[in-house]
Amino acid sequence: MATAISPESASLQDTQPTYSEITRDIAATLGSPSRGYYVLLGLVLTVLAAGVIALLYQVRWGIGVAGYTPPVMWGVYITTFVFWVGIAHCGTLISAILYLFRSAWRTAVYRTAEAMTVFAVMTAGLFPLIHLGRIWYAYWLFPYPNQRQLWVNFKSPLVWDVFAVSTYFVVSTLFLIVGLIPDIAAVRDKVTGWRKKLYTITSLGWRGSDQQWRHYSRAYLYLAALATPLVLSVHSVVSWDFAMSIVPGWHATIFAPYFVAGAIYSGVAMVITLMVPLRKVFRMERYITVWHFENLAKLLLLTGMIVGYAYVVEFFIAWYSGNPFERASFWNRAFGDYWWATWTMLICNGFMPLLLWFPKIRRSIPALFVMSLFVNLGMWFERFVIIVVSLSYEYEPYAMGHYTPSWVEWSILAGSFAWFFMWFLLFAKNFPTVSITEVKEIIPMPRRRAHP
Amino acid sequence: MSDGMNRRKFLRVLGASGGGAVALSGCSTDSVEKLIPYLVPNEDQIPGIATYYASTCRDCPAGCGVHVRVREGRAVKVEGNPDHPINRGKLCARAQASLQGTYNPDRITGPMARNAAGELEPITWDEAIARVAERLGAADGSKVWFITGNEGGSFDQLVNEWLRALGSSGRMVFEPFGYEAVRYANRQVFGVDAIPAYQFADAEYILSFGADFLETWVSPVEYARGFSAAHGYRDGAMGRYVHIEPRMSMTAMSADEWIAPAPRSEGLIALAMAQVILSEGLGRPPRDAGRLRGVLDDYAPEDVAVRADVSAEIIRRLAGEFAARPSIALPGGMGTQHTDAHGTAAAVNILNYVAGNVGRTIVFGADVQAGGRSSYASIEAFVTAAAAGDVEVLFVHGANPAFATPSAGGRFGAAQQSAGFNVSFARFEDETTAAADLVLPDHDPYEQWNDYEPRAGIHSLVQPVMQPVFDTRQTGDVLIEVARRVGGRMVQGFVPARNDGTYKDYLQERWRELQRERRDRRPFDTFWREALQRGGIWSEAPRSTVRLAPSASEITPPAAGAAPEGQFTLIAYPSLALYDGRAANRPWLQELPDPVTKMTWGTWLEIHPDTAERLGLAEGDLVEITTGDGASLTVPAYLYPGLRHDVVAMPLGQGHTRYGRYATDRGVNAYGLLNQDPTAFGGVSHYQTVTLRPTGDHEYLAKTEGKRRQLGRGIAQAVTLAAMQQGEGHPFHIQHAAAVPEREERVLDDVAEAQKEATRYGPYAYDETKWGMAIDLSKCTGCSACVAACSAENNVPFVGEDQVRRGREMHWIRIERYFEGGQDGEPLETRFVPMLCQQCGNAPCEPVCPVFAAYRTPDGLNAQVYNRCVGTRYCSNNCPYKVRYFNWYDMSTPNDPDTFAWPEPMHWLLNPDVTVRSRGVMEKCTFCVQRIRGAQHEARLSGVPLADGDVVVACQQTCPADAIVFGNLNDPTSRVARTAADARGYHVLGGLNTKPSVTYLMKVRNVEEA
Repeated sequence: MATAISPESASLQDTQPTYSEITRDIAATLGSPSRGYYVLLGLVLTVLAAGVIALLYQVRWGIGVAGYTPPVMWGVYITTFVFWVGIAHCGTLISAILYLFRSAWRTAVYRTAEAMTVFAVMTAGLFPLIHLGRIWYAYWLFPYPNQRQLWVNFKSPLVWDVFAVSTYFVVSTLFLIVGLIPDIAAVRDKVTGWRKKLYTITSLGWRGSDQQWRHYSRAYLYLAALATPLVLSVHSVVSWDFAMSIVPGWHATIFAPYFVAGAIYSGVAMVITLMVPLRKVFRMERYITVWHFENLAKLLLLTGMIVGYAYVVEFFIAWYSGNPFERASFWNRAFGDYWWATWTMLICNGFMPLLLWFPKIRRSIPALFVMSLFVNLGMWFERFVIIVVSLSYEYEPYAMGHYTPSWVEWSILAGSFAWFFMWFLLFAKNFPTVSITEVKEIIPMPRRRAHP
Repeated sequence: MSDGMNRRKFLRVLGASGGGAVALSGCSTDSVEKLIPYLVPNEDQIPGIATYYASTCRDCPAGCGVHVRVREGRAVKVEGNPDHPINRGKLCARAQASLQGTYNPDRITGPMARNAAGELEPITWDEAIARVAERLGAADGSKVWFITGNEGGSFDQLVNEWLRALGSSGRMVFEPFGYEAVRYANRQVFGVDAIPAYQFADAEYILSFGADFLETWVSPVEYARGFSAAHGYRDGAMGRYVHIEPRMSMTAMSADEWIAPAPRSEGLIALAMAQVILSEGLGRPPRDAGRLRGVLDDYAPEDVAVRADVSAEIIRRLAGEFAARPSIALPGGMGTQHTDAHGTAAAVNILNYVAGNVGRTIVFGADVQAGGRSSYASIEAFVTAAAAGDVEVLFVHGANPAFATPSAGGRFGAAQQSAGFNVSFARFEDETTAAADLVLPDHDPYEQWNDYEPRAGIHSLVQPVMQPVFDTRQTGDVLIEVARRVGGRMVQGFVPARNDGTYKDYLQERWRELQRERRDRRPFDTFWREALQRGGIWSEAPRSTVRLAPSASEITPPAAGAAPEGQFTLIAYPSLALYDGRAANRPWLQELPDPVTKMTWGTWLEIHPDTAERLGLAEGDLVEITTGDGASLTVPAYLYPGLRHDVVAMPLGQGHTRYGRYATDRGVNAYGLLNQDPTAFGGVSHYQTVTLRPTGDHEYLAKTEGKRRQLGRGIAQAVTLAAMQQGEGHPFHIQHAAAVPEREERVLDDVAEAQKEATRYGPYAYDETKWGMAIDLSKCTGCSACVAACSAENNVPFVGEDQVRRGREMHWIRIERYFEGGQDGEPLETRFVPMLCQQCGNAPCEPVCPVFAAYRTPDGLNAQVYNRCVGTRYCSNNCPYKVRYFNWYDMSTPNDPDTFAWPEPMHWLLNPDVTVRSRGVMEKCTFCVQRIRGAQHEARLSGVPLADGDVVVACQQTCPADAIVFGNLNDPTSRVARTAADARGYHVLGGLNTKPSVTYLMKVRNVEEA
């Protein structure tokens, strides 16, 4: 296992907790929920109910209740799909890639990031279904043997998407579950009642024997290796949903790296958004420190710079190509009817991360929190701009149009956040959101004797 | 329609049309009176095989011949009768949608009478007829009035005979577009009360003084054909067309030059041109034209230039051009029917006369029915009589004066109230029916026997093509029955009542006379059957030579001039889709984008962008229009550069207060602003002086256009005639980035080669056929008949105003309208492009469909499997032409009453050969694949291979200008392959390497500048 201790972990050493303290503190997050938790959960469920009602309404009367205005045939739903797929990327990056790179600071944050990944994929996966004209035939998108001998079109990026997202969902879920096993076992030994039974089953008989540890760490390593290419592939495939078309503003070779960077960027922002309140509520300041946030901020800065570069390249190439349709499309982005969306995107994603060059801002948790919210907003608008604004200004001038989302779309968008947070809230109270095992691993050796 | 369509009714209707004699090759002649049970089928009645009946379209006075396609006893499609001399197989949008009148859910289902509570309630026909007879028996014959629409045939005569028997002279004909001004001017200048035949095809120079001859003017389908022949580009030659009108109408959009004179001044220009021609000795004027010299001397171009706001040089140039070639000048239509319209028409007559056109391109003798004897002044006479209490019984048939007269029919409505007893024969509950005491609904024209004479010498038959949809009765039969009930003088003096026959017998009696006149000695049955099969009988009417009448020199100088400062001249022009408003209850026509503004489902005020800016108006801002009389209406503004600054315009036809679910309370009735007093020529002035006031409110317009300009993308390309003649007319192509690399071309060729290789294993890769189309933009007039024809053929639903606002209209073919120029003193130019699926050879829509709903057929169609579509809509995103349409709601079942497009009995007009698409699927044009497959099956059965022209698609079939050619591109001798190879041919967005199967031929403009 990764036992390399980075010099930066000094911050943790200042208030070095003992192993028992770690188990106690983290298991304490699973204690009986406060009223605030229930209020929050109730709020989330209410919003979710509104989203579900909007969806049922849409299924009953037709997708026309959404605001689609041809030629804009994709709108808020696909925007939100890409948004959530993007969010889902950071988890695997932190847990798998940084694991392979032996970066110690990931230990405190990766569990949250991984859970976020799984829930974000669960959210994202709903949207391609929600946006279908005939949701009841969604299963036709899967190649399954049938007596009509109908098959899917493997040339279509949408079919690739089905595989990419479902693969990613399976692998990231496995990764989360495997990583949870030792922790569940640890908690199993602390709790009573129905949860004891739950953890007994879900810990898969974990006893912490050497052999189990050996198998466990091998399995984790292989899964990490397996998940790593997915980080790059999934969002590349999602980007090809667009790049494989001939829509000006979509058809660009930069899309795959651009989307991957954007995905990680938005994912890191979402991790920060989630970690700040979590740390506060669960009193995890000893485990999740400013040092962790600063590292996240650096990741944010790096990916933000890549995204900013991609924006510049897109506009430059649109001009440099000499292609009148591309030029017109990008001119429309910046100065057309949707200028406000484009400038929201550019400011939130292109200019704001530059502030992270200042160490002071990187180390200010409130500043990072606010910035992460803006990045989330900016990244949603990035997808909105790519999808909606490009579609509204294609080739045929007579058939250009302006799309405004309807209340149904806003409700389902809000419902998707509620759905995501519902899972996250349930997770946070039932499973350790910080890895007990891995935090212990980076505690310096001598303190291990203090373990009872 | 509570009982609906059940099995029994279905079989009855099915059996009723079982007499069909000849399918496809000719038209059926048998009556529909026989009932034939399905168990012992008539040998002609084959389920799945259509029967065609010839009849006549009665939706406007033009009287085009139609073939009605009947399947299993239901009329499902109307197409032009290729033998008919008026339209030669072509139809306009209104005729294409006429079955929506027949199957309109708001038709009156049976006779009704007003009860004590003042509401109409159903009664039996017996009772209804008894009530009329009772009233008539007691009435003073001279106080019986009868208003009909424009009826040129047996019914017209029947009504006259019936009234004569009654002792009444209260017959009025009311046709809102009555061309009183033209007839007045013909009386004045030539001494003939008629509208001549305008022979466009013989002219090389067409000059329209506000005649919208491609929209509603007299006989638009016939003229579109003639215009296309005269003005369409062929082998380096074409005619020239100049349009003079303050507003650029759809017709004017086809002009090579549009001149916007001061309102009411068209006549001045015509007189000035005549003056130039006479004084400079241009052309060869008839000898007696010199008589006009004295009159015309007052109208030298320099004298009228300021008043007409058109420079003297332009007038001189026009005069020179006009006299140099066989030409035709047309007097104004309803869009220029102002108080001096008779002056314009007289001036145009003089111009034609001095240019020697009368007798050459303008032929009297073959007089056109058009407005018939209609006159708005006669309605006013009725109003006066009613006020004097001289109206005891009023019959109204086929007219809606309570809507289509100034003050929105208010004055007529009041007069109607004072009549003792109101009887209406209306098919729909309209404004005039609102005051009826008794409603005796007539059959739809497709359910009745009748005839119509659109032009002297052309007798067109109307025959029932199926069982009546409702419990209606032919008015002719009702009148005869009433006469019998009244008895006494009504039977003595009225032959049909005495003869114990029906209206059909009366009609046949008249046709026996016709046969005798034609010295046809065959048995009448043979004559009759042949006439029915052909749709009527026609012969050249004898030409009559006209000379200048003495009154010709008494023409009054037109009082040209703009509205006073701060006021505007409002033009109320006829609507292409809704005509005078009679077609407003047909949803396909409501949703047919107006060719000029691309507006649907409402009324708008056209206003020049500069004027709008001055008034602080943006598009969609509501404007209150107020006349001097204080009448006012509020409508949204539409910014239209094709108008003078001092003129605003709005269409007629909307604003019904009572006309069924699709028309009621929609838009405003522009008649409400017009002056009630008849003009000097007895018509309605469609010009009004108004003030405008922005109300500050805003409305999102239900229009189908996105951008109005092409952004330099070469969608609608044009070239000048001079360039074509010098061999310089080449279409341009925007390349999508670099040209397609050679190796890519090679790959595509290799793929095609490989596919050909595969033909050994099956019919792939265009081995036999590759369907394609060529559209000549120099012929397309934008009339949108193809749009309506496509809807009728392919069961395209209407989506309603709100959905149009969201851009969700479904027309598989649309007419894109682009503006060019019009800025910085450049002349405004308009181009139309019919845009439909390009059936790309390298289609972007196909590879992106995850479920293979979009696929390519071996014969080159981009097919769409509706049942397989799951609705990802990616195909539409990836379609550069945006010709895929999505079913956002359920328009195919009554489950969703708000969006259901086929409420009973409208669903009867659905084409059984075409799937009705359900919610959530993408749909699109497939070159009428059902027609292709139908023709192929027939070819296979008969063993005769398909010949060029055997497959005719719906848009092509109806195109009045014959702009669309369809066929097999792989056959180099086919018409489409030859047309597509034209030097003017280009593919829209061809640089995208989509390899479209539709080739557009550049529009050619006969203009001076390069």
